[in-house]
Amino acid sequence: MTTRVTLFDYGAGNLHSLAKALEAAGAEVRVETDAARAVENTDALILPGVGAFQAAAQRLAPGRDAVRDALGAGLPALGICLGMQLLFDASDEGPGAGLGVIPGRVTRLDAARVPQIGWNAIDDARDPLFAASGLGVAYYANSFVCRPDDDAPVTAWSEHEGDRFPAAVRQGNVVGVQFHPEKSSAPGLAFVKAFVESVRDS
Amino acid sequence: MLTRRLIVCLDVKGGRVVKGTQFVNLRDVGDPVELAARYEAEGADEVTFLDISASAEERATLLDVARRTAERLFVPLTIGGGVRSADDVARALRAGADKVSINSAAVDRPAVLTESADRFGAQCVVASIDAKWDDAARMFRVYVKGGRQPTELEAVSWAAECVRRGAGEILLTSIDRDGARTGYDLPLTRAVADAVDVPVIASGGAGDATHVRDAIVDGHADAALVAGILHDGLTTVAALKDTMRDAGLPVRMASVERGA
Repeated sequence: MTTRVTLFDYGAGNLHSLAKALEAAGAEVRVETDAARAVENTDALILPGVGAFQAAAQRLAPGRDAVRDALGAGLPALGICLGMQLLFDASDEGPGAGLGVIPGRVTRLDAARVPQIGWNAIDDARDPLFAASGLGVAYYANSFVCRPDDDAPVTAWSEHEGDRFPAAVRQGNVVGVQFHPEKSSAPGLAFVKAFVESVRDS
Repeated sequence: MLTRRLIVCLDVKGGRVVKGTQFVNLRDVGDPVELAARYEAEGADEVTFLDISASAEERATLLDVARRTAERLFVPLTIGGGVRSADDVARALRAGADKVSINSAAVDRPAVLTESADRFGAQCVVASIDAKWDDAARMFRVYVKGGRQPTELEAVSWAAECVRRGAGEILLTSIDRDGARTGYDLPLTRAVADAVDVPVIASGGAGDATHVRDAIVDGHADAALVAGILHDGLTTVAALKDTMRDAGLPVRMASVERGA
């Protein structure tokens, strides 16, 4: 059976590559601009990675409780970059409530060169999606990173100018990645495929 | 730690990749979608499309090329040429670009950088600066309109201004070295890279792998942009990256990843 995934479009930018990566992984992709509807009739929710926290939180707000409930009930989700940050409580980038699925706050990278733009190594990966895909260097384009209240949900790390930050988190079926797998070439596509396959098998 | 990037640049005109000397004697190099995918497979870290005609009709053609490329390219895509406003940036991003480079329009009206960064984030706003040494004035002078029109701006202070106004990256092209294949302009690259706290992409002058290495090691660039030497088959992405790695630079090796 086809795996149905829904991309929540906050209206910011390029969703093409992510949609194509999900389709290449065998998923049937639906784009939804309404957050509450994005968790209905789907096997997984995808929170893409383009835009600013405040604008995304505003678009999320009307459906925030519905999304929280769905994820709490076990709906698999993949949050990418800003989408990962939305899994947390709040962000220094701007006002608005995140989903609060993972306790913690989003803060600015503690580095001279911000935004971080480029390929960075993935360290201490323990999420099976990394082993399945062989993703060891991933593409980042971000100024802000997630700081969970404790390290338990962190499943991989990266480091920029001495600031070590979570590359990936997992809370049950909810996965967040700070990098862009859809921009990380063949191993990134393999990561997306491994996620889609994990949804199929869940 | 961030790796140092190798970016492949494709000049696009009429929906095809072209190559010429100082914008004349243009000849067809191939299909942009095919070439972009091939360079990704060879290990290019990013691909940049520059619309070298920058006319209104051509821009629609470039957006169509970007759309078709984004369906097959899974490394970052930058597009530039003729971008005048934040709405132009929006159109490029929607077509599938990850970053947009802005050149003449930023000189005419620097607020376009801020407006674009506020809407889409600094990470997708690339300030493209074309500079040439002015011996009389003892400075690197900024040029616009495809390197044809001098301005009163000095390259290092203009780069800092672009960053203050929201650019998340600087694409720095030496007009003196463009197409010369004698190496990047290291004093220019170093002066700009040391003056700003965003990544600087060195452009113009690559003739061989040691030039790419030098742009990063001696020029302090975060990334090097190459075009002609790849299109002409003088070297390969893999050979360039081998030289970068052998110099001790952190680089992403496509083959290593596949085997990991």
